[in-house]
Amino acid sequence: MRDMNWKLEKRSTGIPGLDRLTRGGLPEHQATLIVGQAGAGKTVLTLQILAHAIAEGSGGVFVTFEESPEQVRRNADSFSWGEALNGSESWFTIDARMPVGAERSGAFDIDGLLAGIQAKVDQLDRPWVVIDGIDQLLQHQPDQAFAVDQVRQINERCEKSGWTLLLSGKAEGESVSPRHLKGIEYMLPTTLVLTAAMIDRRLHRHLRVAKYRGSSHVPDQVPLIINDDGIQLPYQAVIPDDRVKAGSDRIDTGIARLDSLLDGGPYRGSSTLISGRPGTAKSTLSASFSEAAARRDERTLYLSFDEMESPYVRNLASVGIELQPHIDAGRIRFHSRSAWSGLITEHVLMLQQQIVDFDPHLLVIDPISALLKAAGCEGPRAATERILEFARNRGITTVLTSLTGDGDREDESTAVHVSTIADTWIVLDYNERGGERNRSLSIVKSRGSAHSNQQRELTLSSNGIDLADVYEYGTEVLMGTARLQKEIEERVAVRSRKLEHEQRRQELERRIEQAKNEAERLATEIELEDRSFDEASRMDREYLERMKSRRDPARREKKRGEDE
Amino acid sequence: MNASSDVSESPVPELILFITGNAPRSHRARKNLAEALESLDLESVEPLEIDLMKHPEHTVNYSVFATPALLRTDDSGDVRVLYGDLSDERKLSNFLGEIRSS
Repeated sequence: MRDMNWKLEKRSTGIPGLDRLTRGGLPEHQATLIVGQAGAGKTVLTLQILAHAIAEGSGGVFVTFEESPEQVRRNADSFSWGEALNGSESWFTIDARMPVGAERSGAFDIDGLLAGIQAKVDQLDRPWVVIDGIDQLLQHQPDQAFAVDQVRQINERCEKSGWTLLLSGKAEGESVSPRHLKGIEYMLPTTLVLTAAMIDRRLHRHLRVAKYRGSSHVPDQVPLIINDDGIQLPYQAVIPDDRVKAGSDRIDTGIARLDSLLDGGPYRGSSTLISGRPGTAKSTLSASFSEAAARRDERTLYLSFDEMESPYVRNLASVGIELQPHIDAGRIRFHSRSAWSGLITEHVLMLQQQIVDFDPHLLVIDPISALLKAAGCEGPRAATERILEFARNRGITTVLTSLTGDGDREDESTAVHVSTIADTWIVLDYNERGGERNRSLSIVKSRGSAHSNQQRELTLSSNGIDLADVYEYGTEVLMGTARLQKEIEERVAVRSRKLEHEQRRQELERRIEQAKNEAERLATEIELEDRSFDEASRMDREYLERMKSRRDPARREKKRGEDE
Repeated sequence: MNASSDVSESPVPELILFITGNAPRSHRARKNLAEALESLDLESVEPLEIDLMKHPEHTVNYSVFATPALLRTDDSGDVRVLYGDLSDERKLSNFLGEIRSS
């Protein structure tokens, strides 16, 4: 009926995450087994794939062994693609439920079923065939071996007739084969396992590609969400084709001094974690990032897990950050959400949809640590990594805040593990001294940037946020009034040292003066000494003369005569 | 089940045997049915045989997906189905019970 073609061809399921797990889709002209517990999403999965195929121009048949065709169509109708599916004439339902009270007498064949399907798909191009709940029929075989054999027969029919088949059946526990059909997974080339489990009173669904013969695939069990658009695999988000390369472009944070500490600001497309205890201005700092982005005419998606929009915006206005005009202008989209309200994976999915819808330049999640409160077995770490990867691939800069407890400033950041993932980590804190609390900011790490790790004081005023140099005092840093006081003390000390110096200098000058005076006095003394010495010497000589002449009268007479 | 009060022109409930081509189970079912009818003195009952390989549209029309299948419609329009190769004699004779020979 079709060309001999042994090569594996894949058909897109229209579910991006599933196409990614299966590296392109499900095998064409082959059967895929979908096993899962009740409520795991088997029927929705098959209907959604069918809806996609029909939207693409293909058609198919839906054979139902459990629900009535009306139930199947109602089921589809609850999804966004349901109306188009139910309105299409390219597919048929076959009600293959066993009549109530039907009895068995011996083994049976399924050739009639296959012939009936063939009659319906004959006019369709590349048909999809869904056989939903085949275990309902085959469980009545007196020998399980017959049932397994017939599944193989169905698979061979796919190859022969060119059907791409989805065969679903209920699983028991951890088994990858439907009830009463042990071993059929060996007959079929591809097996998808859906699970649904109640954890913390919430339903957690997962999907796993248990087997894909002839194709590489992702074997992980991934979380599955069913929302209005049907089945979503949020952790298998598709990377956009135009994924952004890491650039060297830096953005401003709205605080000039913080930009300079970060060597010019965070890189565009990087992630910044702002962690701190309650009341350390984490949200205010995030808002500063947002406002700065808005001033650059860029869009910010602000996801708040803590606060409602209006009080938040009002509080920010009091510190000079006006978001309202930017919200009105559509540059900032504020999305408030309660962490308790959903599974972590639902939050991740919602965020991805918001990102795709709004296409922001900046993403703020305030606080990311709220994910710890959300139910889910995936854990906040994986969720955070997915979110950051999703944003990074789109070149979106992210700012995440994280609430830390009073005791350990790193506890929640460590639990979410953002600190190891984020490119830049800013720790906000407050120091208590002298009866006041002063906010501080320090940059713990910043990849690819020379940055100062000096703690700074963060000041909030009606003019906005600013940073002040702190006063280093020995091994401590001082802030607030203590800083001011210390600065005054320092000035006083400087002045007094100056005065002291002046005094000492004056004293020395005075002593120099004194010494000079003394030298002059001594010089005079020397002069006097010399003079009196000369006088004494002259008088000595005169006395000697007089004595000599007295002893020699002649000389005295002669002298007298001469004198007369 | 007591339909004797107003006997219509076709008092025999309609029996249809659905088969698929030459499948061995179809052959066995045909044989088992004939034997059972004989042992119940119902040789006069002629079951209608539909080959779904030749008329696949009847699969959906009659909602018969497993073959062989024996379909019995009684006077009130109630339809009963017995699936399988009819190898379980007790079940088959129960199923055929109260059919009256014409």
